[in-house]
Amino acid sequence: MIRARRFDWTLAVAVVAISVVGMLNLYSATWTSRPQLYSQQVSWMGIGLVGFAAAAALDYRTLSRVAYPLYVAGVLSLVAVLFVGKTINGARRWIEIAGISVQPSEFMKLMLILAMARFLNDWPVAEGRALRHLAIPALMVAVPVALVLRQPDLGTSLILVLIFATVVLLIKLRRGALISLVIVGALAAPLTWSHLLKDYQRQRILTFLEPGRDPAGAGWHARQALTAVGAGKLEGRGFLHGTQTQMHFLPERWTDFPFAVWAEEWGFLGSVVLLGLYLFLILWAVRLASDARERFGAILCTGVAALLFWHVFINVGMVAGVLPVVGVTLPLFSYGGSSVLTVLVGVGLLMSVSLRR
Amino acid sequence: MNTPGSQAPDLRRRFRVMAVVACAAFAVLFVRLWQLQIGAGEQHLRRAHANLVAEIPIAAVRGKIVEARGRIVADNRPTYDVYVTPRFFDESMLAKLGKVAGLEHDRIERMRERLHGAKDLVRYRPLRVLRDIDRDQLARVETARLELPGVRLEWSPQRIYPMKSVGAHLVGYMNEVGPEELRTRRDEGYAAGDLIGRAGLERLFETSLRGRDGRERVLLDARGARRPKEEIAELGITYLLHGAREEARAGHDVVLTVDFDLQRVAERAIGRYRTGAAVAIEVDTGRIVAMASRPTFDPNLFTGEVTVQDQSNLESDPRRPLIDRTVRENYFPGSIFKVLPALSALRDGLVSTEEKIECKGRHELGQRTFRCTHAHGKVNLEQALARSCNVYFYQLAERVGMDRLADISWEFGLGSPTGLGLNSEVGGFVATKDWYHKHWKEGFRLGFTLNAALGQGNTKMTVLQAALLYATIANGGRLFVPQIVRRIQAADGRVLQEFAPQARRTVKIQPDQLRWIVHALTGVVHDPHGTAYGVKVAQTLTVAGKTGTAEIGVQRRGAQEGSHAWFAAVAPAEAPRIAVAVLIEHGGQGSKVAAPAAIEILNAYFRSPDLKMAATTGEAP
Repeated sequence: MIRARRFDWTLAVAVVAISVVGMLNLYSATWTSRPQLYSQQVSWMGIGLVGFAAAAALDYRTLSRVAYPLYVAGVLSLVAVLFVGKTINGARRWIEIAGISVQPSEFMKLMLILAMARFLNDWPVAEGRALRHLAIPALMVAVPVALVLRQPDLGTSLILVLIFATVVLLIKLRRGALISLVIVGALAAPLTWSHLLKDYQRQRILTFLEPGRDPAGAGWHARQALTAVGAGKLEGRGFLHGTQTQMHFLPERWTDFPFAVWAEEWGFLGSVVLLGLYLFLILWAVRLASDARERFGAILCTGVAALLFWHVFINVGMVAGVLPVVGVTLPLFSYGGSSVLTVLVGVGLLMSVSLRR
Repeated sequence: MNTPGSQAPDLRRRFRVMAVVACAAFAVLFVRLWQLQIGAGEQHLRRAHANLVAEIPIAAVRGKIVEARGRIVADNRPTYDVYVTPRFFDESMLAKLGKVAGLEHDRIERMRERLHGAKDLVRYRPLRVLRDIDRDQLARVETARLELPGVRLEWSPQRIYPMKSVGAHLVGYMNEVGPEELRTRRDEGYAAGDLIGRAGLERLFETSLRGRDGRERVLLDARGARRPKEEIAELGITYLLHGAREEARAGHDVVLTVDFDLQRVAERAIGRYRTGAAVAIEVDTGRIVAMASRPTFDPNLFTGEVTVQDQSNLESDPRRPLIDRTVRENYFPGSIFKVLPALSALRDGLVSTEEKIECKGRHELGQRTFRCTHAHGKVNLEQALARSCNVYFYQLAERVGMDRLADISWEFGLGSPTGLGLNSEVGGFVATKDWYHKHWKEGFRLGFTLNAALGQGNTKMTVLQAALLYATIANGGRLFVPQIVRRIQAADGRVLQEFAPQARRTVKIQPDQLRWIVHALTGVVHDPHGTAYGVKVAQTLTVAGKTGTAEIGVQRRGAQEGSHAWFAAVAPAEAPRIAVAVLIEHGGQGSKVAAPAAIEILNAYFRSPDLKMAATTGEAP
């Protein structure tokens, strides 16, 4: 039974705060060119809120029972994308259902977390896991990653791998397994470079390593984003007053670069507040993981914390020029219904765990 | 659930590590943001502003070229040009623009090349791709503008030559600065797509005519579109535009000494022939009143969009229409040169005006025979000039000698450019004994002098030099630097610079001897035995002139390659005011071809109220 005083207000307030500034920011990014995106996002927020409430109300332990079927459904939806998906800008990522585009790979992140939590919970290995114990979780991540790469969507594949890695590092590994994983990773890197990455992706990474390479080409977006961030200075240029944003020098304002919009208009102070909120949310999720009553809840919270952390860190790192440009969204800031719904359901799961400590 | 509620202690430690790692990662972001926003914030803000601010040139109105009577021969009219910002332009838009503007295939190809040539930041700079579109194109491009992002229309003044081909060589023409010049003349402020004076006065007075472009600062969004003032005010960046406007300074007007009525007459007079030139100079000032080169061309062709056809027509025309035959070419002078051996002999007392020499139609020198047109009998100098007797001048040549002939030639300005400075004038050539020693296998021989005295040696002059030579004889020996510009004035009419006549030197010949030569030359036109007798001179006008038929040594192009026909004259003979020289390339006899043309110009000059009539009857073809 949920008692009102055990409702996790801290978690709720943090998420609502991020959502509100995220919506403000989306308005600033879109009002001059694509005002309809804002109202669409409002609708998605509403749907996301329902998702959040449902996830919070549902005992997460019940979810454990349907984790595998959900995972399978997720994989099937990814397969479906490859056949009936909608192609935008050369990537086949969306399925249209009743006029609404959804991105199954977003939901897959949660499915993966649930499935891994279930598996690691069901098969505890007291003396630490060897490599063979990781075979099934590895397969769990490899299948959706392979499917997502086919779309192609490097960013989402990366997030899936990083969630897997974070969760694996949490559990007890044997030394040999750890070393093997590192070796596998090292071997995979050049293969990834030569086989998995598309030419434009390689260009981005090269440009990141050597910014002067192509100032008007691949480096252009990244440079304009840096200029926007820097131009915000301490106090920002004011809401709706960032020229990089409002005069459209900033590319991908509502998808990959909303943080640059925020940083330009709210400055260093605004950036610190926003990143502070994200960090708080992540740490809170880690705390919930730590406080969870059993392994399943702990892994679930860790997975959601990893999801949030990697999204924020990669996105902001990319905007601020410490990471190459990879298409990873900023949770609750980037436009996109599936992304919003995924994040809010994920936070709903956190709430569910929090309510049942 | 089969796991106990409390976590294992090692798991708790892992969570703490995780939290620390997350904090550390965010710390990296904080430090980075501090660097960007606090450390380099000002720099990035400037860069953000630089993104917006564009300096658009305000085209300076080029100075006019005005002829002697105040009519405009080079003017400006408003035109619309199409600019494209390569960054926001792609293949489909190129095709669309081509369709909308109705462009030929090769025009689109050239445009594509230019757009692809734009690299890096140049891709964000608008390029002028179409110049001077017509009203239909303007309307269509304007209508389609919303579908053509990155396309902009700009107004600019365009050069126009209302007199079309009249005076084309002296007025000159303009075309676009080339990539090479853009590098070498960057300091002078030339930008891609600018026009620059290429020939004639447009080139010579480029600096005065050009003026200085102004600039206006505007704010452009990322697509290169200009944003309205209200929006800029809304964004609070109006200050970026403050104090940024620099008005254009109009170029200065150039006022000519050339009278375009007379210019038309001159062009019509030589227009009956295939190629030729005519120059008319005021005797007492050295001012050029007409300066015609045939064939001519329409300078408007170069300023607008030159069609490939037009350009290749001009370039492949065997008559080479772009050559200014008044100054850029030099010719054997033929008999118009005879005044110089005559003057030299008179000056040195080698002949008297009374002395008669018998012409039997031939002159023997060693084993060679030098021929005359026919046997003139006993002739004095006056008769020899009027009838163009060669034998008389063979004898005179023997007395004067090669080098004294060269001396007097130089004195009258032959062998070096006149100083007009227009169209890369050449200086002609004066042959000397030394030159023959150096350049001829057999060295110098007296025969060269005989030919030289007849203008048939190796001495060459330009048509302008010929006119100047006769003007100098007629004005008592003052060799002027010829002038074609009377003054330079500001756009509002204020005189900035007035050019006074400028004498180069005074020849050391007694004025009465010069006067006598002028008198003697009246016989050419007015004596029944004169070579140009019968050419219709206006009543009351006395013309003193000399015919010349310069034989071309080598028959290069068969029968077509006839002698050059010359006539040089001054009028009125009693008190000369104007000197004229006419040359018709391969025209045949000077008396039949060049003299009528020259006298037509003189008649028109002295009948000047009637010139307006002549002007309306049309120009030379």
